[in-house]
Amino acid sequence: MLFRILKNSFLKRPRSIFLVFLSITMGAAVATSFLGIAGEISHKMSLELRSYGANILLEPSAVEGGGFLREVDLPKIKTVFWKYNITGFTPYLFGLVDLTAGTKHERAVITGSWFYKQLLVEGEEPSFQGIQVIAPWWELQGGMPQDADEAVVGASLARRLGVVLGSRVVALARGATKPFRVVGIVTTGGYEEEQFFAPLVTVQSLLGKMGKLSRVLVSAVTVPMDAFGKKDPAAMSKEEYEKWYCTAYVTSVAKNVEEVMAGSRAKPIWQIASAEGALLTKLNSVVLLLTLLALGASAIAVSTSLMASMAERSPEIALMKAIGADRLQISAIFLGETLIISLAGGIVGYLLGDQLAALISQSVFNSAIKSPLWLLPTAMVSAFAVALAGSAAPLRRAFLIEPVKVLKG
Amino acid sequence: MASMIIETAGLTKSYGEIRALKPLDLTVPEGEWLSVMGHSGSGKSTLLNLVGGLDRPTAGMLKVGGEDLLGRDEDGLARFRREFVGIIFQQHHLIPYLNALENVMLAQYFHSVPDEAEARSALERVGLGHRLKNRPGELSGGEQQRVCIARAIINSPRLLLGDEPTGNLDHGSTTMVLELLRELRVEERFTIIMVTHNQEVAAWGDRTIYLDDGVLVREEKKLVEG
Repeated sequence: MLFRILKNSFLKRPRSIFLVFLSITMGAAVATSFLGIAGEISHKMSLELRSYGANILLEPSAVEGGGFLREVDLPKIKTVFWKYNITGFTPYLFGLVDLTAGTKHERAVITGSWFYKQLLVEGEEPSFQGIQVIAPWWELQGGMPQDADEAVVGASLARRLGVVLGSRVVALARGATKPFRVVGIVTTGGYEEEQFFAPLVTVQSLLGKMGKLSRVLVSAVTVPMDAFGKKDPAAMSKEEYEKWYCTAYVTSVAKNVEEVMAGSRAKPIWQIASAEGALLTKLNSVVLLLTLLALGASAIAVSTSLMASMAERSPEIALMKAIGADRLQISAIFLGETLIISLAGGIVGYLLGDQLAALISQSVFNSAIKSPLWLLPTAMVSAFAVALAGSAAPLRRAFLIEPVKVLKG
Repeated sequence: MASMIIETAGLTKSYGEIRALKPLDLTVPEGEWLSVMGHSGSGKSTLLNLVGGLDRPTAGMLKVGGEDLLGRDEDGLARFRREFVGIIFQQHHLIPYLNALENVMLAQYFHSVPDEAEARSALERVGLGHRLKNRPGELSGGEQQRVCIARAIINSPRLLLGDEPTGNLDHGSTTMVLELLRELRVEERFTIIMVTHNQEVAAWGDRTIYLDDGVLVREEKKLVEG
């Protein structure tokens, strides 16, 4: 009987039914698309944020490092469990040298590093590593060194030494000299402006520290730290540790890298990691809030349509009550209607939302995405929630209908 | 002596300042056909709504079938209506998008379980076995009223209430409906309370009470023949 009532009701009021269907479909579509791109936004934003600096610092362990890391271990970074999350890394070797440029002399820090080096690791895709990868925000006048005797000078140091692009600077260390041609002057607003940058192998040779490194900066895509991520791994159970290790927290990625770099100690650079985490959390919150707002707007639209429909149907409801329908039976009829509509709205909303998410992803991030299948039940639940929330006020109005007043005369 | 299906004492209904029914003492024996007459606004429909559990009294005692209706909540009154009462409206009040059979089954649905064979049989009893699949818009006024009667009796009520059930019918249809009610009453042995303006219609009852301005002013009992 309920089916007959619902079927006939649908056939009799197609316009009203369509409006409710449209409202629910829009809500489900927006929820699907927003939640669908939420993961994508986090991933893309995390990648974008990598251009603001490395978030993991590898230093020699005080206990077993012997003061240096080994260059030979660097390729292993591209073989770790989280290798696909590691977007780049750069080795550094620091030392003090006496610099001479023309008539000016200054004792300064020389930094040996990779600038844009192709890394070939057996069994892995070739990749490029170096300062250009992990610090693309450098304001560089000129270019990066291509040869062993080319160098980049920090802007402050360059001013004091009076060097410009093409100038010749001689570095003296351990009684040996090494001439460099300045091919770049870097402005960062930080300590780099006081340093002299040259290719790693040249600096290792000059300082007599072949194959040695002072530190490695690693840039990795990570997830925001939550309460679980902040727990001390040493105090975790085996299951907890596995879960922590398999989640891309900055701490677990750091631990992962530390394991392959002999004598190293990996530390998250918290000001970067925290800022990223806070930004990504806020971004996710905004997406969630927008989704809830969209669902709320849909529920209001559903409620408005149902209110109008309820006014039109008050004689019908009054009659049902007069011949003995109680509130549960009235609810069954009207919620039954909206739930059937929401079932259809949820499915259509999911399909529309999937297309919308693909469109947004394509236009904003220039990449295609496919909404995960778990969004289908999410879209269905959203549609049901919209239908239920939108039905609350109309149903209350139905409960208040008095047969005596409506059926009078 | 028949037991009383309806007992009221000091039954009153007010709408704000207006007292639609002034303290009324009334008893109706089980199986009686009671006609209620009076002018518009005399309190006839108010009385019918109160005994049918469609409205709540302002004061007084109201027992139907031995039970005090004042103690029931809204859903309790709905249960009372579907289990105890059948209502015939002047305007029929059929659901326009359901056919005759479905309109009768609707009352079954709210009562318990729809039974198509039983609903068909009820419509056949009121002479509409050939109009089962017709919607209200395709039926005459008299036919619609007979669907309304079939719906009212489908759950075997103990109390059948009619609010001007023949008010919109021509003379022929009126007689047909009243004869039908008389036959059904004999078969089903329910009590009828029928509000009417029409003296001829009221005369079909065993007793007629007259209300004026919410007060029972007179009653007439039909003399039993023989």
